[in-house]
Amino acid sequence: MAELESRLVNCFATAFPELDPQEISSVSIGSLASWDSLAGITLLSLIEEEFSISISPDDAAGLVSFELILDYLRKDNLQKDNLRLSPEDAE
Amino acid sequence: MIMKLAEALKVIQSVPSHAPPLQVALLCGFTPLHLETFLRARLCKLFPGRSPNVQTGLYGDLIGNLRRVTGVSAAVVVIEWPDLNPRLGLRRLGGWEPSQLQDILGEVNRGCDLLQSSVAAVARNTPLVVCFPTLPLVPVSFSPLARASEFTLELRSRVASLSAALSRLPGVRIVDPQRLDALSSSRRLDVNSDLSAGFPYMLSHASALAEVLAGLVLNPQPKKGLITDLDDTLWRGILGEVGVQGISWDLDNHSQIHALYQQLLHSLAASGTLIAVASKNDRSLVEEAFAARDPILREADIFPFEVHWCAKSESVARILGAWNISAEDVVCVDDSPMDLAEIKAAHPGAECALFPSENPQAAYELLERLRDWFGKDKISDEDGLRAASLRANVELQHGIKKASPGVVGDFLRQIDGKLTLSSQKQPLDSRSLELVNKTNQFNLNGRRFQQAEWQNWLNTPEAVFVAASYRDKYGPLGKIAVIAGDLLHVNVNGVNSDSSGKRRLRIRTWVMSCRAFSRLIEYECVRWLFAKLDVEELEFDFLPTARNTPMQNFLQQVRNAPAEPHCRLSRAQFLKSCPTSSHVVEESPNG
Repeated sequence: MAELESRLVNCFATAFPELDPQEISSVSIGSLASWDSLAGITLLSLIEEEFSISISPDDAAGLVSFELILDYLRKDNLQKDNLRLSPEDAE
Repeated sequence: MIMKLAEALKVIQSVPSHAPPLQVALLCGFTPLHLETFLRARLCKLFPGRSPNVQTGLYGDLIGNLRRVTGVSAAVVVIEWPDLNPRLGLRRLGGWEPSQLQDILGEVNRGCDLLQSSVAAVARNTPLVVCFPTLPLVPVSFSPLARASEFTLELRSRVASLSAALSRLPGVRIVDPQRLDALSSSRRLDVNSDLSAGFPYMLSHASALAEVLAGLVLNPQPKKGLITDLDDTLWRGILGEVGVQGISWDLDNHSQIHALYQQLLHSLAASGTLIAVASKNDRSLVEEAFAARDPILREADIFPFEVHWCAKSESVARILGAWNISAEDVVCVDDSPMDLAEIKAAHPGAECALFPSENPQAAYELLERLRDWFGKDKISDEDGLRAASLRANVELQHGIKKASPGVVGDFLRQIDGKLTLSSQKQPLDSRSLELVNKTNQFNLNGRRFQQAEWQNWLNTPEAVFVAASYRDKYGPLGKIAVIAGDLLHVNVNGVNSDSSGKRRLRIRTWVMSCRAFSRLIEYECVRWLFAKLDVEELEFDFLPTARNTPMQNFLQQVRNAPAEPHCRLSRAQFLKSCPTSSHVVEESPNG
């Protein structure tokens, strides 16, 4: 999970190079002026590329802070793990 | 190699902010989004030392974007189906009923006409790269997807006609779909992204497309010469072992790939590429093979032949000397990795390519790479003269060497040299710009120009342009020199003033082909500038480069002082140092 967080930090650092690395984990659309719609699309595309996932437009609308995106990725990861397990293993 | 979005952003962020800008327009009807990022990143890689800036236009207004483009070094136009008719996109609903197909075709026809005139208008001043639809057609037609309908065939045919018409315009480069197909996966359309952001491309497709587009913006100068081995390269077999009748290049002997290689080299020679042979072989056997077996690549296509048992690197050095070009301008092809390594060690700038004689698939891919290295926009008159003039130059050099020192001028007066000078600035002469951008040795400062930059400068009233063509009894050399500068009127304080001041020509670029060396043509050019332009003084925007020693030597000789930035030459100083005229000098009837 720590690896997932650090990969997400890298995506934020690439999309918002002006951000201090210490600030990344607390950043949100409201606290960062450069996080406009264009930067938001770029950020989500970087995340899709990094994690080889496709984010639906409905989900994308709610991904407005580092924390929310991290939660989303954790849930996505968990779902994938569950899918990989056999029904017996899942029990 | 497909670039990822994260990598593209990092490339852009790493460009120093103080680097001189390079303005390129990206004109499309969709949201440029990641295509803009990838294009900028590719331009950063292809133009090191520059800070590329990609200007974009308004969504859904390709024609308007074309009309508004200004002040850029190049423009990239990416056309997708909705630009020809909105009903061919996902974001507009105009109906896909069978009864509407004819109307769609009619609108596409009108759209194509409008695009043609708009692109032609921009191309007059700006080099353009144009890409026709890369995405699959929406399922508008009533037929199943595997069956091409009359509607889709007509649609594609109309686009192909427009593409062919635009390719004929000077300064327009069309993206070849075959090249893009090789780089981009079949899954190109991103429906989610198109519907949510107006950006229709998968990231991988945008990345591949940007690579092709940026390559066409750069439009690199082709390599000048190819040096080929013979045994198991130009033909199959070791001549010394199998004899003249044992070598082959045909289907029967499973050596057709060598025939294709010869065919490509013959085509390159006809397009002005220099071809030489470097082979460890018996000279008389090679002569016999060319005489008796009549290869597709003719003996006349090749100059020089370096056939002996010495190291290949020595052969390459002699060939470079005969051609008077540097290792960076040549490709060496050989079936021996060891020989190639030996050449590379001695000439690190040379491109060394292995001929995989046992693997026709790999050999075919080499043919494609060779076409890419030597590919040209168009074939000029000079391309047909190059090899012959190099051969003639050897004869001329013999004559100069035989003439005793001090009487070289006498020798030159006997060769019936005729220099024709033209100062016509319009229309743009692509050969002149090509000379400026590829000449290295007799080059004032190594400065290269984008087409738009060159054209804009020459359009200014103070700009002076002179192009020189030359011929003598050894044959024509074609256009061999270009001088361009600004005519200044300088007052006593050295400041540009009204027309009452002293006239000075500030030469900002001066190049001369190495094929024209040793004929004192550079002196004739300066003599003509003083006489024709009635200037008191020439100022040279000289800068030393790694390879412009011939220019440095000339300036040193004529000024009797080392060449330095902004050095000057007065008329009196020139007349003291210049040799007497050896050639007939005339002005082109076109001015």
